[in-house]
Amino acid sequence: MKPDLAIDIAGVHFNNPILTASGTCGYGEELADVFNINSLGGIVTKSITVKPRDGHPSPRTAEVNCGMLNAIGLANVGVDKFIEEKLKFLESFDTKVVVNVAGARGQEYVDICYHLADCPRADMVELNFSCPNVESGMEIARSASLAEKTVGEIKKVFPRPVMAKLSPNVSNIAEIARACENGGADCLSMINTLVGMAIDIETYRPRLTNNCGGLSGPAIKPVALALIHQVYNAVKIPIIGIGGIMDYRDVVEFFLCGASAVQVGTALFIQPDTPVKIIKGLEEYLSKHNISSIKELIGKVRIY
Amino acid sequence: MKTIVAENCIIIKKVPMGGDICYFELGPFSKVKSIKPGQFVHVQIPCCNVFFRRAFSVYDVDTEAGTLGILFKMFGRGTEAMAEKKKGDRLNILGPLGNGFRIPSKKESIILAAGGIGMPPLYMLTKTLINKGYSKEKIFFFYGAMSKSDLADTKRIKKLGVKVYLSTDDGSAGFGGFVTDAIKKELPNINGRRRLYACGPEGMLKAANEFALDLQIPGQLSLEAPMPCGIGICLGCIKPLVKGGNTRVCREGPVYDIGEVVL
Repeated sequence: MKPDLAIDIAGVHFNNPILTASGTCGYGEELADVFNINSLGGIVTKSITVKPRDGHPSPRTAEVNCGMLNAIGLANVGVDKFIEEKLKFLESFDTKVVVNVAGARGQEYVDICYHLADCPRADMVELNFSCPNVESGMEIARSASLAEKTVGEIKKVFPRPVMAKLSPNVSNIAEIARACENGGADCLSMINTLVGMAIDIETYRPRLTNNCGGLSGPAIKPVALALIHQVYNAVKIPIIGIGGIMDYRDVVEFFLCGASAVQVGTALFIQPDTPVKIIKGLEEYLSKHNISSIKELIGKVRIY
Repeated sequence: MKTIVAENCIIIKKVPMGGDICYFELGPFSKVKSIKPGQFVHVQIPCCNVFFRRAFSVYDVDTEAGTLGILFKMFGRGTEAMAEKKKGDRLNILGPLGNGFRIPSKKESIILAAGGIGMPPLYMLTKTLINKGYSKEKIFFFYGAMSKSDLADTKRIKKLGVKVYLSTDDGSAGFGGFVTDAIKKELPNINGRRRLYACGPEGMLKAANEFALDLQIPGQLSLEAPMPCGIGICLGCIKPLVKGGNTRVCREGPVYDIGEVVL
């Protein structure tokens, strides 16, 4: 029998636990040229802000060993055009849509979620509390009280589940996770990128115009697993794992650590159809080990 | 709709061209027939410290054999690792990507300005025009590079039978000076309505862009930019547009009208 990959998170049904991570799949249009995006459990859109943004000037990505740095600077079409055009495009697909929301202040998050409340195609919102590439983005990520308050206000205006995306660039991630849970977050996604830097040795210039950027890719997977393990033991709400997933083996590790679903990000830049390969790999893995549902793996790491 | 594929292709032919330049013939690739001149492929290089794919304009296609050719210069760790691959090795090819050149009217004189390793897409464009029945007399292929050893595969270009003008910055072969200067010198002999296609380093494209705008010669430029994803999802390869905002070189480009992009 085919193993069951379906998963319910905060009442939202995902056909499988593989989502694409924010900022690595645009609004789905480009990936649709490469594979059938109905095969995805869900799409997490590029961060949406109140006003459109061009982002930082080039160069804003840099290759590093086992990963990359980015400082795109939240380039996006803005919430109005997003609802008008991009969400409309996604309407024709049978996959869940998680809209990633970003802002400079807590009120901006609330405003965007208020607009999205009337768009049933926005199955969930993911709060980007942790973008290291905009000046004030880190403020909420680092303050438990601010995170709790902001989640609470968003819950008042957005009628569907809210996912809070956590930053690894904090001293106590479990404390922030608990604060989001107390504020009413339905689930958590983690981790966002780690702050990093790379320098051109000919020009002495940083390889990003923003000087520093977010490190992603396989380089950060062990960090993600360690932090998820920590948070899994601190909260009751589900965790969506993110960080350097390249194949199904990585996904199994995230589940064992405590994730209930995952987001695939940087891998899409190397192999855009990675999610399709992961789904096939997971089915084979579960069959081989006589596991009927992927849910059975959640948190099953055998700690020493 | 699935228009882009990722396939493992074999290196069928590997030809070192001198001057750190190398030619690969890769195949079989199922989308060879749909590749337009100016489009590119994104090549995955299996090597521990090369993470992103590398983008290469398609140089030539053999639709019967189902193969495509790329020409590349060893420039950094990606292309260095690629040059170590041997005939028979496999490389994963993602493509075809980007937009090709707009095909001109048959009445126009076509000026091609190739700078260094920017030559391949212009070769493919020229070959396509000839196959479509364009007069070889009205195609003027200018190929410039830093030095003689950087002028690769000139025999293949000359075989097309179009007018070929070589130039080098140091004067070691052909006209001594920039390719744009070689064009300016020859321009009085290029009659009728003219159209310019250019591909090369950014400084050369900037010069070509300016001189085409000054002389009101329409045409297109093919840009180069480091591209993490090649399909428009990472937003890493942006350039500013003259009308404002940014463009993704991989998705909206790499071919742009003269005067469209801030260079």
